Amino acid sequence: MASLVALSVGFILAMQASTELGKLGANAFIPDLVSLSLLRELGPLLIAIIVVGRSGSAVAAELGTMKVNEEIEALKVMAISPTRILVVPRYLALMIMLPILTVFGNCVGLAGGWAVCVGTLDMTSSFYITHAVQRPELWDLYSGLIKSVVFAHLIITIACYQGLGVTGGAEGVGRATTASVVYSILWIIIADAALTGLFFFVL
Amino acid sequence: MREAPRKIASGPKKIFKAGEVILEVRDLVQVFGDRRVLDNISFQVRAGETFVIMGGSGCGKTTLLRCLIGAQKPTSGSIHLFGEDITRMDPFEMDRIRLRFGMNFQFGALFQSMTVGENIALPLRQHSDVDPSLIEMIVKMKLELVGLTGFENFMPSELSGGMRKRVGLARAMALDPEILFSDEPTSGLDPVMTAVVDQLTLDGTRKIGATAVVVSHDMTSVFRIATRILMLGNGPRQGQVVAEGTPEEIRKNPDPFLQQFVRGEADGPIPLRMAQDEYLKHLLGDG
Ligand SMILES: Nc1ncnc2c1ncn2[C@@H]1O[C@H](COP(=O)(O)OP(=O)(O)O)[C@@H](O)[C@H]1O
Ligand SMILES: [Mg+2]
Repeated sequence: MASLVALSVGFILAMQASTELGKLGANAFIPDLVSLSLLRELGPLLIAIIVVGRSGSAVAAELGTMKVNEEIEALKVMAISPTRILVVPRYLALMIMLPILTVFGNCVGLAGGWAVCVGTLDMTSSFYITHAVQRPELWDLYSGLIKSVVFAHLIITIACYQGLGVTGGAEGVGRATTASVVYSILWIIIADAALTGLFFFVL
Repeated sequence: MREAPRKIASGPKKIFKAGEVILEVRDLVQVFGDRRVLDNISFQVRAGETFVIMGGSGCGKTTLLRCLIGAQKPTSGSIHLFGEDITRMDPFEMDRIRLRFGMNFQFGALFQSMTVGENIALPLRQHSDVDPSLIEMIVKMKLELVGLTGFENFMPSELSGGMRKRVGLARAMALDPEILFSDEPTSGLDPVMTAVVDQLTLDGTRKIGATAVVVSHDMTSVFRIATRILMLGNGPRQGQVVAEGTPEEIRKNPDPFLQQFVRGEADGPIPLRMAQDEYLKHLLGDG
C-alpha cells in the first residue's frame, strides 16, 4: 500500500509540474522537482501518515484491548513492567522501520516520476536519472530521514499513550484508536512544519 | 517477550511462621465519586490461614482485593503486607513485595496473545534463572494440577470460561507465592470443578504453609475451604464489615443479613427493591 501511494505521488508530482513548467519550457527541471519534494517532504510525510493508519492504530488497539482485559494490570502485579515488555520493543521497531520505509517510498516515488517523464514527456531515462539523483544533496535525504525518525517517535508515543490510557471497555478501545490516529497526524504535520522551518530557513 | 529476566533485589526477607500476622488492614476507606465503596474496613490475616472474603455482587470485594495487592491506592487507611505498609510504597519497592504473592483475577486476565503455556511460563521467565527446559516441565506440572494437561499450546480464546479461570490460578501459583489472592476462582464452574479448584487452592497454600485470601460467594466452597471468613455488606451497609470469624462462628451468628446470605434466601434484610413509599417518592420526585 505504501508503495502504491508513493508511486501515485511520483506520478502526480511529475504531471503537475509538467503542466506549469511546460508553459515555461522548463520541463528539464521536473526530475529535480520530483526528487527534492519527495526526499525533503512528501516521502517522509506520506509514509508516516500511512504508518499511523496501519501500525499506530494497531498498537493503540492492541494495548487498549490488553488494558481492558486487565492484562496490563496482571503484568504490573507480577512485577513485570508493561513499558519494558510492551512499549520498548514497539518503540524500537518503529524507530528503525519508518526511516527504512521512507527510503523505500522515496525510491518508488522517483520511479513514478520517471514513468511520467519518460512515458509522456519524451525524456530519456538517463536524463531523468542523472537529474533526479544529482540535484539533491545528501542533506536533502538526511533531512527527510531525520523527519521520519521524529515522526516515528510521535506515532509510537501517542499510540502507546492512548492504548495504555484506555478506560471503559470496548468502546474505550475504539475511542483511543481514533484519538491516536487524529493526534498522530496533527502532531506529525506540526512537527513537519517546525522541522522544515528549522532545516531550510534557520540552519 | 523472551528477554533476559530483570532481577529485582529481594533484600532481607522475613519468613512468616504459621499464626503470625502476614496481612493487616486498618481503617481502609475507598471512595469513588461520592460513593464509599469500602467503609472503614479492618482485619488481620495470619500466615497459613485460608481467609475468605464474601459478600454480594458490587459490595466491593474486588476493590478490596485490588487495594490489598497494591493495584489501587485506597482513599485512606493502611495495609501492612509482609509487615510493610504498601499504601506508602513507591512502585519500585512494591515490585519486591509483588514477587511474594500471586493474584488470580476474577476474569482471568490471561495474555490473549500468548498460549496457555506461555502465560504460565511468563512469571518464571521474567523472575528466575531457571532453564527453559525446566520451565517447560514446571508449566506441565502446574497444568496437570489444574486438570488441563495437554492444553499448553491452546490460546486463551480457545478455552471455556472455567478453563480460563483454572489457567489463571495456575499462573498465579507459578512462582509458589507465600500468599495467593484469588478473586471468585469458582464462580461459573460446575460442582465437580469447584471442588477441584478448592482442593487445588488448599494444596497450593495451606498444605505447604502458604496463605490464601479468597473472594467467593459460593457458600459450599466457602465453608469447605475457609479457616476464617470476612463478610462485607451492601445496600445500607455498603462496604462495611458485617461479620468476621471462623466458619462455625459465622454459621451461628444471628445477624439476619448474614443468615440470609449464608442460606441464600430472597426474603430478608438485604435490600433488592426499595420499600413501596420510597419507590413512589423516587418515581414521582420528592415534591
Ligand atoms: N475504578 C472504579 N471507579 C468507580 N467505581 C468503581 C471502580 N471500581 C469499582 N467501582 C464500584 O465499586 C463497587 C464495588 O465493585 P467491586 O469491588 O467490583 O464489587 P464486587 O464485590 O462485585 O467484586 C461497584 O459498585 C463498582 O461500580
Ligand atoms: Mg468482583
